Amino acid sequence: MVSPELEELTWLAIHGRGVINTAHSSQIALTLSQAGVAAGREAFYYMRYDDSPERVQLPFIYYAVFGNPRIRVILPEEVEPVGSVFDTVAVLDSSLLVKSTSQRALLMDGAKKKASLVVNTSLKPSVILNLVRKYGCAQDWEGKIITLRAKKYGQNIALGMTGAIAKAMEPLYSIDDVVESLESEGKTDSVDAVRSAYEEADSLDVTLKAQDCEQYKLKSSLGEAKPFKGAKGWWDREAYMSLKERAANAPTYEQRIEAMPSWEQIAPALIEFGPKVSERNIGFKTSFARTFRPVIDYGKCVNCKLCHVFCPDGAIDYEPIKVNYEYCKGCGICARVCGSKAISMPHELQALEGLDEEEFLTIREALIEYAY
Amino acid sequence: MMSKSSQVAVQKAVQKRRVWTGARSVAEAVKLADVDVIAAYPIRPYTGIMNALATMIAGGDFYAEYLVCDSEHSQFEVVKHASAVGARTFVGSSGTGLVYGAEAAVVTALGQLPVVGIVGCRSLDDPGNFGMEWNDAFMFRDVGWLMEWSKDPQEALEMTLVAYRIAEDPRVLLPHFVALDGAAITHVASPVTPPTKEQVAKFLPPYKPLHPLDPAYESVSKAMHIAPSLIGPEQRKSIDAAMKRAKNIVIPEAWKAWGDTIGREYPPFFEGTQMEDADYAILSMGAYSRNVEYVVERMRESGVKVGSLRLKYLRPFPTEELVKALDGVKGIGVVDFSYSFGSPGNGSVLYNDVRAAFYEAEQRPLIMDYIFAGGREMTIPELEKSIQALIESVRKGRVDKPVRWVTVRGEDV
Repeated sequence: MVSPELEELTWLAIHGRGVINTAHSSQIALTLSQAGVAAGREAFYYMRYDDSPERVQLPFIYYAVFGNPRIRVILPEEVEPVGSVFDTVAVLDSSLLVKSTSQRALLMDGAKKKASLVVNTSLKPSVILNLVRKYGCAQDWEGKIITLRAKKYGQNIALGMTGAIAKAMEPLYSIDDVVESLESEGKTDSVDAVRSAYEEADSLDVTLKAQDCEQYKLKSSLGEAKPFKGAKGWWDREAYMSLKERAANAPTYEQRIEAMPSWEQIAPALIEFGPKVSERNIGFKTSFARTFRPVIDYGKCVNCKLCHVFCPDGAIDYEPIKVNYEYCKGCGICARVCGSKAISMPHELQALEGLDEEEFLTIREALIEYAY
Repeated sequence: MMSKSSQVAVQKAVQKRRVWTGARSVAEAVKLADVDVIAAYPIRPYTGIMNALATMIAGGDFYAEYLVCDSEHSQFEVVKHASAVGARTFVGSSGTGLVYGAEAAVVTALGQLPVVGIVGCRSLDDPGNFGMEWNDAFMFRDVGWLMEWSKDPQEALEMTLVAYRIAEDPRVLLPHFVALDGAAITHVASPVTPPTKEQVAKFLPPYKPLHPLDPAYESVSKAMHIAPSLIGPEQRKSIDAAMKRAKNIVIPEAWKAWGDTIGREYPPFFEGTQMEDADYAILSMGAYSRNVEYVVERMRESGVKVGSLRLKYLRPFPTEELVKALDGVKGIGVVDFSYSFGSPGNGSVLYNDVRAAFYEAEQRPLIMDYIFAGGREMTIPELEKSIQALIESVRKGRVDKPVRWVTVRGEDV
């Protein structure tokens, strides 16, 4: 259910990960918001407040919101808009296409039917469409996919993505408004890069039926939670755990919110009902931080258990040695400590789909960009 | 019909609009106020402000002594001492960090040092909650800090500037908090029209302390461990008098002067929407008062006589002004992002202040408390439902359930 005050607005959601993408997003959102103001709209932007992107590689969402000239309310769903609200979804790091991103389990969760998806990638729009069908969408979609190799435009990906998103958001504001916004910030030397990104980005019209999306089945098959015993249902551990599992597996934000417990149902004070000994906490799956995944070559593995010992997240099972990809953050420590070089770290898209993605930020590039 | 020249002026004003977060706005205000000493220690949402300031100083936009301290306690100590020797200072914090700095902050007020601080309102732990809640700021409501709530980045900028003028006025000399609702203001960028450097220079001349802690002025600090019987009550009375002067004279004067500088009117204590003939008033502070205004306008369209009154100053609390502003109203709903466990009526802080203000009034309207505790944001339907409950109570002539936990999941016992 979308409240009417949200429907009047135009939303841009920018997905990225980590500190450096945060800086890019802030730059993109500022430029585009001021372009919106130049085009006579009210505009504002914010980073989804629940996210913690100051932590390395954690995903986050930036929102930029464009109103008609009379909006003045702060939005009721300030942190997380509920319903189909996004007109444009931008992705700075393509590994997010196959992941849950912060609270939103699916990339296109919350997108309007006619939404555009803008991706920084070396892959073709048709390939991106396949990924979205398989991993990121559980609804009907009749929009377009715009792709761009953003590194080609300027020192960082922000300028390229600004141009590509501007292309997606036309005619809300024109590329001239974007240029005006850049100039008002004194960034006249960036104008050419943004213009050429705007002109050169690939665009593909796409149609997707909900039933064809693999996540749609998951969404519809989420079972009932166990009922709480007694009138108040105080501290019924078993029922609570089933609620928690439901929340953890919910593919959409709305379903996740629905599954959250009432105050009577949560455990008292400091206590949180958690996993049994030797189990992992289903409330703290952390795989969304991963861009590169450790893959063990069992032909080379000598079963020395060093990776298990060194894994900071306890994500590698002891017997037999096996990575649990729901908890692995992709830090790569296991690959570094492995004496027999049995662990490689391919990109997520390579590991899952055999795709050769060239647009990602290496640690080296990240350090150079931040001038360490 | 506007003249050609004023049309041009409006055009220029529109061109100068920027899209800034509340954090950036406050940092711009600090720059405009030409602050001498800034003490910083990160805690969300205040971190945004120290980041913005650090960026500006590193970029050479202005110069200030910028100290990254080892904790909030040191942070508040630094500005306290810097202010004592005559510097214009800036500080800020949030949530439990602010509470950790409390010891120094309390002494800052008793020392009558005009430090200006920002509270980026954040829930107090546990567990690591960083939603918006006023309880961190409310911990300081009794100790002599002036406290003001802004509603958007524009106002955050203006309040910070005006706070310096009020705090440093020789008739006041008290520290001043400006509260920015965490996330909703600190982290949301919205259009801001900043004042010019010239406007600010005229409004806010450099700080000239009356008695800086400097041998040249023949002043020293009071001895520690002084016997309570000697000056305890007198020192506190001095703050009481300063607080009263602030409310009755200095705050109205300062906002009048700021209004004259900018060329528009700023009511010092309240902002009312649809209050002229209102039967029901929704009293709120801060960012979410914009939601209240929105709902009020929407309910007006269907003929409900409801108005919104936004309180700007919590300390000094404008008691008589509030009673006057709500004269003739039959029911008041207080929007309260706080709690006060075990307090009178089990209501929260603002609610009990409003109730106390009306104790001696001739007409006492029905008062309800809408508690938005724990950092979950307000939604429009929840607010509408709460207002309907107030209307229903007024119709019956009594409030059956005065305190409502609006956003909580589960039974509101």
